[in-house]
Amino acid sequence: MKWHTQDIQLFLKERDYIDTVILPLYPVSFADDIQQTVAMTEFINLLSGQLEKQFKGRILMLPGMSYLKTISEEKRLADLIEWEKELISQDFKHIFYITSDSDWKTVEEQLDGGLIWMPSIPLDNMDDQYKLSILEDQVKQLLNVFVKKWQNND
Amino acid sequence: MSKNRVTRRQFLNYTLTGVGGFMAAGMLLPMVRFAVDPVLQKKGESDFIATNQKVADLTTEPTRVDYSFEQQDGWYSSEETGTAWVYKDENDKVVALSPVCKHLGCTVNWNGDKANENHFYCPCHGGLYTKDGTNVPGTPPIAALDVFPTKEVDGFLHLGKAEPR
Ligand code: FES
Repeated sequence: MKWHTQDIQLFLKERDYIDTVILPLYPVSFADDIQQTVAMTEFINLLSGQLEKQFKGRILMLPGMSYLKTISEEKRLADLIEWEKELISQDFKHIFYITSDSDWKTVEEQLDGGLIWMPSIPLDNMDDQYKLSILEDQVKQLLNVFVKKWQNND
Repeated sequence: MSKNRVTRRQFLNYTLTGVGGFMAAGMLLPMVRFAVDPVLQKKGESDFIATNQKVADLTTEPTRVDYSFEQQDGWYSSEETGTAWVYKDENDKVVALSPVCKHLGCTVNWNGDKANENHFYCPCHGGLYTKDGTNVPGTPPIAALDVFPTKEVDGFLHLGKAEPR
């Protein structure tokens, strides 16, 4: 389900079936790494769109958390933990974060939810059909991650 | 002379009615267009979308066909993508099924579950469909997969809008 009014109606109605929530993490910087953060944000945005299509009936795809790279890592982690607390209190059985920003990998253990780190692939110069097949590949890989997690807990 | 002059009251009356009229028209016209527009839009031929799939290359094994198209959504257009599961049946007729699960809309996969070969499988809540798209009773989906109208243009597969069976 997307964070769209229509999808949320269905979400509220069929809540029992939608036990998984995904929060994309989008870095924002205006320094030397501005292009990198843009590429990461763009890539994760596209990928989470495809992912939502694959798993529409079981996941809720949140609009994503943007954060400034100038803010300290501790502060960012603290913010994410706030999100996590809220999501846990909403009874989601599975929580995932998806990002291209490797900063998060160093704090992975401090999170209850699973961190899916995908290195960003520069897609801007590709033709659509090719872009699509690359994203499909990535989604296929993630399919196994999700199915395994679901099977272990069911 | 002074008789022909417009009084302040008249002037205000005229202008306010005029402006009010414009505002009413501004609100009403789009509503009328909303109501009438779908009737004016042409349907049919142009709804078919070309894919990269050669019809001659299709077998009896369902293959995944991805396609993309421009979608006009309000005032901005976006690149939308879609998928179909396509195969030839015993009579060599092309069958194209929508991958959207009829339970809550996940994407189903052909042979997606090792325990259920030759079925479409939904990874979300274990929905199952036979090869022709019929839902297997006892699994969550309550209807068969939608079917795309198909046609062949210059050897390539074109897909229409998926319809419920
Ligand atoms: S969405 Fe396919 S079985 Fe629930």
